[in-house]
Amino acid sequence: MTFKPLALLMLTAAAALAQPSFEAPPPPTAPVADAGRRQADYFQRVDEVLNWRAARIDLKDPAKSLDMGAIAVLLTRNEHVDLCSQRVIALMKEPGTGPFWMFPTVCVAYAGRDRLSPEARSAIREAWRTARQLRGDTENHWVMYYASLYLMAELYPDEPAASWYSGKTSAENLAEARGFLLHWMDLTTTVGQGEYNPCHYIGEYAIPLLFLSTWSRDPEMRQRGHMMLDWLFAELANNTLNGVLRGPNSRADEGTAIERWNALTSYFCWLLFGNTPAPAGYGGWGVYFAPLAKNYQVPEVIYRLATDRPDDYVQRDRARTRRRWRYSDELSPAVYKTNYLRRDYAVGSTQGGLIDPIQTHAWDVTWAEPDPRGKHNTLFSLHPHSSPRAMQAYFSTYPEAMITAVTFEGKPSYDSPDKILGSSPFERIFQDLDTVVALYDIPPGERFPQVNGFFSKDLVNVTESPSGWIFAQGGNTYLAYRPLAPYHWIPYLHYAGGWAKEKLPVGGRLLVSPHLKNGTIVQAASAAEFPSFAAFQAAVTALPLQFSLEPVPTVRLTTLRGRQISFTHGQTPSVNGTPVDYAAWKLFEGPHLNAEVGGRRLTITHGRLERVLDFNTLTITDRVLPPAGR
Amino acid sequence: MPPARLLLPLLALFPGVPLAAATPAYDFFICANINRNYVIGSKIETLNGVYHRTAAGAWEHLGCNDTGLTAVAFDPRDRQVVYTSALNGLWRSLDGGRTWRLCNGWDITEGRDVAVDPHAPDHVYLALPDGVAVSTDRAQTLVRREAGLPDRGKYTQAIKVDRTRAGRVFAACESGVYLTEDGAQHWRQVLPTRETVNDVQQSPHDPRVWLAVTQSAGAWLSRDGGLTWQQLPGVPTDRALYNGTFDVTNPQRLALGSWAHGVLTSEDGGATWTARNAGLPAAPRVWRVGVDPAGRLYASVVQATLFVSDDFGRTWRRDALEGSQVNSFLLLPPAAP
Repeated sequence: MTFKPLALLMLTAAAALAQPSFEAPPPPTAPVADAGRRQADYFQRVDEVLNWRAARIDLKDPAKSLDMGAIAVLLTRNEHVDLCSQRVIALMKEPGTGPFWMFPTVCVAYAGRDRLSPEARSAIREAWRTARQLRGDTENHWVMYYASLYLMAELYPDEPAASWYSGKTSAENLAEARGFLLHWMDLTTTVGQGEYNPCHYIGEYAIPLLFLSTWSRDPEMRQRGHMMLDWLFAELANNTLNGVLRGPNSRADEGTAIERWNALTSYFCWLLFGNTPAPAGYGGWGVYFAPLAKNYQVPEVIYRLATDRPDDYVQRDRARTRRRWRYSDELSPAVYKTNYLRRDYAVGSTQGGLIDPIQTHAWDVTWAEPDPRGKHNTLFSLHPHSSPRAMQAYFSTYPEAMITAVTFEGKPSYDSPDKILGSSPFERIFQDLDTVVALYDIPPGERFPQVNGFFSKDLVNVTESPSGWIFAQGGNTYLAYRPLAPYHWIPYLHYAGGWAKEKLPVGGRLLVSPHLKNGTIVQAASAAEFPSFAAFQAAVTALPLQFSLEPVPTVRLTTLRGRQISFTHGQTPSVNGTPVDYAAWKLFEGPHLNAEVGGRRLTITHGRLERVLDFNTLTITDRVLPPAGR
Repeated sequence: MPPARLLLPLLALFPGVPLAAATPAYDFFICANINRNYVIGSKIETLNGVYHRTAAGAWEHLGCNDTGLTAVAFDPRDRQVVYTSALNGLWRSLDGGRTWRLCNGWDITEGRDVAVDPHAPDHVYLALPDGVAVSTDRAQTLVRREAGLPDRGKYTQAIKVDRTRAGRVFAACESGVYLTEDGAQHWRQVLPTRETVNDVQQSPHDPRVWLAVTQSAGAWLSRDGGLTWQQLPGVPTDRALYNGTFDVTNPQRLALGSWAHGVLTSEDGGATWTARNAGLPAAPRVWRVGVDPAGRLYASVVQATLFVSDDFGRTWRRDALEGSQVNSFLLLPPAAP
């Protein structure tokens, strides 16, 4: 052995044994100005994931430790290729069904197309003939399914129908997959994503898109994949607070709704921006992004959106609901999102109503934490809606069956009165800067006739004021919460995971207000804006506030920012006497992201940096804008 | 035994005559999902899909292992031609289930039911959560045929072809029962409902008699070929009915399946109804009921098993297919030898 390989081996071993980032202190959040350094840091993080995953493989027990993710890592590193081939052959004897099997298999098929043994490659190919693949029923399922089918049809072109599980030729599979992928990109770039700002599901988009941008033979699809990655990560960057995604989210879960950092989004923020700790195990699925990650790097303009926030900003965007099969006049009504981001906290919301029937997180105030791990750094309320009709609107199912099914299938809290997840048709929300008004008009007979407010274990100085306001502090953020109807407190109990069978205490309380006509007002502010917590309380208590609950909840409030909000459940809110014109909302509108509805064109701006993603021309255009005032 | 293609016209020629006297034998099929709590991505560990009841009383698996099958239909000319509605849309086999082709593209999904027109066997009808698709070439191509269905409110849970006339089809939709008499070129509403019609069935004894079961309006019977409907008294309307069935051996017998009410039976042509749940699990969660060619009544109880009754629901015993959920029962004239 020569010196050089030995040194490399030692370096690799040292890297593998090094403390993983998810156990290390939080990374510095200051942006890195030097492009070379940014890239080196990024590549180092990518290698950290690959080294960590490789180090966990027990070569003596491949059946236990060599899954498709591990095989993809080894193939990328060109290590133990014979063992990978043997393991692939074994795994392909019991192929899975559906997109979660398809995309890992595609990853291995491509990573190993020049390395796996002919027998192993044949085993993969044979599995794609014999194992019927289910397409699933969600947006992320279909993106994974069709990106996978597309790439496999490209890898094995000109093959007959009998050689595919679908009974279609390679060309037919390719055409079908391409048709959907273009349709989805068109939909996303004209009226928005259905699964907007997802917590964990971001991986189900980012990974297939990276595959397409790297491996597609068609330069158009490679370009589209790259542009969609930029689109996805620009939204992520713009909506995170120090690398932590906050609400609103189309789909969250119990864990991510309260421990906002603990989501796959944090893996991507850590990897791409380096501005938050990685989640444990790099988020699980994240390992499938890492082998190809060096083929993609966010441009500086997106990097700076995430890391360089000199000013507060408001971003207003549109998205769409999950597809409604029935009980709705529209297939996918528009979702209107408001986000207000500041150094110490961020406030985000939708307009309320049913969006995804189970997993929507409609609004919150999330405050910054130096180390967000284990912190429940958020405040919000909701109506815990559970209904067969909602299930039937979105799923091809019967009224009773689905509720029972989802509680067994990864959504255990769905039918719990004390849940903290889900949208309600009876909730209407309006946000102006850092004020949120959520109004509830819950009909009699509703299964859970109450409003739940989540009060974190990490709030301090929680004070129930005689004024009716509840004051608290989270991090450097002062919070005021005004329930509009009487309430009581219960401990917050938590399903620790989708398959958990019992709820456990994790700290925190729920404010439970068991009244049909109801509402929540939240006002946030930076601690630095007031000389003391008492001064904040006094300022909020002095705010002109009028509200009534009959016949429907209505609020008139002058906010801390001096703006007069008027909001009645079921009616258009107004600010300073001007009604909010939702119909005029753009797909993206703010200082950093701008796009017209129907435009297929996103302009990403930070300071003088600009990138335009134009799906009409399939071009990426970078500019440096003239200095302000010139 | 005459081949299927001869039996079907025979049924049409004598629409009012109970066929029990002829006592035709039938083949009996089910579509069963046997994987408890399967979610997209998890490994399929059991055998799901189409099963055929053998003469010996066993369940014989046919075709592909698919957790998402909702219904099966056959070409009456050739039992080797099989159609299954499924999560992916519509699958077709031309070789008795050995190989399959997905007949639709990405714009069709979640097939709820499938039917073949016995008088125009190249015509295949597919019920979808967003309407109806039709093929006139044995599912080589599929097109939407929804004129007359509402833009919204056309969630279609079940689709059945009138065996007496080509192109006469009933669609059980979100907003009622719709009828076409020209192969889905035009639809018209024949039974309006506030919520989804979950099943529609034609009597094996009298083709003019149709049964519709609904989510919130109980069960309805038509005695004039589906033109007018009468609500069946005694059938609860407070909770959803999931499906209904006739007894091929007895024209007076009907059964309904319901998650909330379990099994309801009538032995007087629908005039009176009785809950028949003794012997089924408490809170039976009945997903489907069906009757086999011998008059045995079946109840698929969600996440339990298939139950069978020899006395039309008075007593029940456990059948095979532990953990199954049967999505459809199908009686067919026997295949040609």
